[in-house]
Amino acid sequence: MEKEGLGQRDIHINFFRPVGEFMTRDVTMTKIILVVWALAVYGFLLLLVMAADPNDTVQVTLNTGEVINQVTGKSFLTEMRFLGFPFHYFYMAWFCIGLFIAQCWWYCKFSDNLEAELGKAEKKPGQP
Amino acid sequence: MKRMMQWGLSLLFFLTASNVFAAVEDLNPEGKFKVIPGLMMIGLLVLFVMVGVFAKAKTTEDYWAAGRGIGQMGGGAAIASNWMSAASYLGMAGLIYLKGFFAISYVLGWTGGYVLLLVLMAGPVRRYGKYTAPDFVGDRYYSQFARLLSALIVILISFVYAVGQYKGIGMMFNWIFGIDYKTSVVVGTLVVLAYVLISGMLGATKNMQVQYVVIVITFFLPLFFIAHKLGYFSAVPQIGYGAALWDIGNGGNGIAPEVAEPSFYLPFIKDTAYHWIALCFTLMVGTAGLPHVIGRFYVVPRVSDARWQVVWGLFFIALVYWTAPAYAAYAKFSNLLGTSGVNIAPDAIVVNAAELAGLPEWFAGFLAAGAVSAAFSTVGGLLMAGASAFAHDIYFRVLRPNATEETKMKIARVGTVILGLSIIIIALNPPALIAQIVAVAFALGANTFFPLFLLGIWWSRTTKEAAITGMIVGLIVTFGSMLIPKTSLLAYYIPFTSSAVLGVPLVIIVMIVVSLMTPEPSREIKELLYKVHNDE
Repeated sequence: MEKEGLGQRDIHINFFRPVGEFMTRDVTMTKIILVVWALAVYGFLLLLVMAADPNDTVQVTLNTGEVINQVTGKSFLTEMRFLGFPFHYFYMAWFCIGLFIAQCWWYCKFSDNLEAELGKAEKKPGQP
Repeated sequence: MKRMMQWGLSLLFFLTASNVFAAVEDLNPEGKFKVIPGLMMIGLLVLFVMVGVFAKAKTTEDYWAAGRGIGQMGGGAAIASNWMSAASYLGMAGLIYLKGFFAISYVLGWTGGYVLLLVLMAGPVRRYGKYTAPDFVGDRYYSQFARLLSALIVILISFVYAVGQYKGIGMMFNWIFGIDYKTSVVVGTLVVLAYVLISGMLGATKNMQVQYVVIVITFFLPLFFIAHKLGYFSAVPQIGYGAALWDIGNGGNGIAPEVAEPSFYLPFIKDTAYHWIALCFTLMVGTAGLPHVIGRFYVVPRVSDARWQVVWGLFFIALVYWTAPAYAAYAKFSNLLGTSGVNIAPDAIVVNAAELAGLPEWFAGFLAAGAVSAAFSTVGGLLMAGASAFAHDIYFRVLRPNATEETKMKIARVGTVILGLSIIIIALNPPALIAQIVAVAFALGANTFFPLFLLGIWWSRTTKEAAITGMIVGLIVTFGSMLIPKTSLLAYYIPFTSSAVLGVPLVIIVMIVVSLMTPEPSREIKELLYKVHNDE
């Protein structure tokens, strides 16, 4: 590893302003994966909230002692059945986990290809 | 010294006798020794110790870096078994049993975090090439104090995490041997310690692969019989429980509509969407910030292997996480059908599910033995992480840089024993359910290490002052959330299991502000980071 190899180049690392080809392409992929990941989990949960039947409520006692009426979240997503499951339950407890594995697999494939394409050898900076 | 021991012993007795927190349910009040489950568990422990003996640790390097030659799949199995603890095996199903769909956030939080870990941390951390999380922190933030503080947090995380495991071990020993919970915790601890000291981490990694196989077999097998007995699709009981969910909520298959509990599957009856998101976020971010999980990346020789073992690890974890909600659902279903003669505790619901379905005792024994294995494999990894933080990061790096290998090894062993024994004090009167205790460890990882690694890797402007301030703020948020009065509005919005929903954004903002107010890191650090990100 040459000591002066980077000279006066811009080496400020910032996730939102990547430098170097490897990092730029890696960050682009990372962003795509994170957006899909966030939408799949939290986006779906917000969908559950928006789809919820506002008239289907239940009385809940909070830890503060206050009693409130809370929407149960019943909607077509919870009443539709898939493989016997209420759909939202299947989506969360089965599909999302599978999606996570697929996303990890996809990223590993991408990284291997990227390393091969840019001819990165297995070097370990910071190690003796 | 003698004084201290006396004091320690009397404290132990005081805690044994007191009930500061809620008492743990006695699962075996008749004190019956269950012979077959007992033999199963002893057999498994003997097996693990044997595997450990065959791969006895030789040098300190082995002790925490486990050599460097483990395959992707093997690494994945080690990640999975290190990961799957009493919280996955017992705690998760227990919370789903209590809280229904709300607790699915545990299932997603503890799997979805791996995506974050992989795309944001795995590659750069591996390329950065340090042995432990505090090593990374000390080096990246060019500060011995930051190294020291982060090593203390590693120990703290291991401590909290292990409390949940001890509870699981105690409950299972109680169920199997008929000795009371507190005695069970003490006996269980001694067995764990003996086993960890004998094997060291090389043994532990081999052990982990054996343990993973044991965990999956014990977790899967009884479920087929439970599903069959209750009349659900038993070829794939992990799918069959879907219909059980429906029957629990709407009646059917012997459950009258009047006793049905729609709160089990409807999303927002017990808690709101906000609470679901807060918990899920905490667990996901915590996964990407747990030092002993990040530590698994140093064990593999190539960056590509470090990444692929995450895929394998997640797949192996998923097998168990697709299954845990089924136990909760089948137990709930049996419960609504009406059963008697079973001592139910949420944290033992997996074992209870087999009893409730009326299966022979050895099925439940199988599960109990598997739960103990799961807890053991995790406690091993945790004690190792805590002890190496003490011996390597604090003693060797800060206090005695000239220490010999032999001394380091000795210190690591002493550290393991001290840590292992001190956890008993809290585990005797556990403050919450297993999964909740473990969630606090995740909140702690999320509030401290996650921002430290995230900004440290992805923003070269982050300074040492920011790192130190960030860790302190993270600690305050995590422990502050536990001290808020339980009946206050603040406790409603920031539950102690979900404090990262406030902590992570806050710590990141604090770190950015402090960084911009303090002098930039040196060019060398930026060059190293550039190389890490561009694999040069």
